[in-house]
Amino acid sequence: MTLDDFKHVLDTYGSSRNSWPQEIQDDCAKLLTEDAQARALLQSQHRLDAALDSLTVPDFRDLEAHVMNQPLPPRDRALVDRLVEWLLPDSTSLSELWRPAMAACVPLVFGIVLGNYFSFGVVDETNGFENWDDELLMISFADVDQGQLEL
Amino acid sequence: MTGEETDEELMLAVCDGDQSAYRILVKRHLTSISHYAFRLLGNQRDTEDISQEVFLRLWTNASKWQPEKARLSTWLHRIAHNLCIDFMRKHGRTVIDDEPTKLDIRDEDYTSSEQEPDTDDRTQRLNSALSTLPENQRSALMLCHYAGFSNKEAAAIMNVSVKALESNIARARRTLKDLLEENDTMRGDTETIG
Repeated sequence: MTLDDFKHVLDTYGSSRNSWPQEIQDDCAKLLTEDAQARALLQSQHRLDAALDSLTVPDFRDLEAHVMNQPLPPRDRALVDRLVEWLLPDSTSLSELWRPAMAACVPLVFGIVLGNYFSFGVVDETNGFENWDDELLMISFADVDQGQLEL
Repeated sequence: MTGEETDEELMLAVCDGDQSAYRILVKRHLTSISHYAFRLLGNQRDTEDISQEVFLRLWTNASKWQPEKARLSTWLHRIAHNLCIDFMRKHGRTVIDDEPTKLDIRDEDYTSSEQEPDTDDRTQRLNSALSTLPENQRSALMLCHYAGFSNKEAAAIMNVSVKALESNIARARRTLKDLLEENDTMRGDTETIG
């Protein structure tokens, strides 16, 4: 490790050895024992950190009470949570039973609507007859005695 | 609620509308949030407004916190950071990386823990140097030095890469160190002349 590398470590991580990356701590320690300039740099960094530590902030005496007692609005809840709460309300009133009942009917209604619009590959078994009248007519032909027709 | 619950347990309770859980979280995190906001904004009144807003958002957006992605303190500092940036933009303070930001720091706002004249002078100089640091450099220094976040966490709070954060913090430290050394040299010269 060079002196410039060590200077960069001090500028980036500060003077506390514990905050230096683990993998370079040994290199830094070695440099500090060998190089007086490195020790001077560390000393200078110590002075800065001590000066920063000497700055204190005011005592926000009433702030905690203000924050704790501020009026809390309703929370932005997830859409799913709100939907579940609406469908399954906490109160067990009968007047609200229509909600889960309606939710249970939704798949049924959906199935009916879907089935009404799509055939899903189901083959029409009327064998080409367009309506019941045609089919009844054909059945009536089948019942006619062949001998009677020849007459 | 006993106050021994984890942040995660308390946040679940907040999601269910438990105000006592909210109060415990306020007690636990308000100091670090208000100190961070003060160090960015530099005055007491704005700090109080921002702190109140941060905890209001904790209450309203509790379900949006993802414990597997970030600690609660990281999430709250991120909210505070964004609110402070918005506030500074609204009030005409520049937040461009390389532009210094002039803060409205009054003498009575910042205090020194020591009362010696030399220390007071140094504190004042440090305050004024801090107030002229670009916002990104100041935030990086505040998060890592005072709030004790790792560089990775601080980068997540500021929504920048770790490299960018490390560059910001190094530049901030260099500026402050140069200033303090210059100050010490000047004082030495004065004493020699005297």
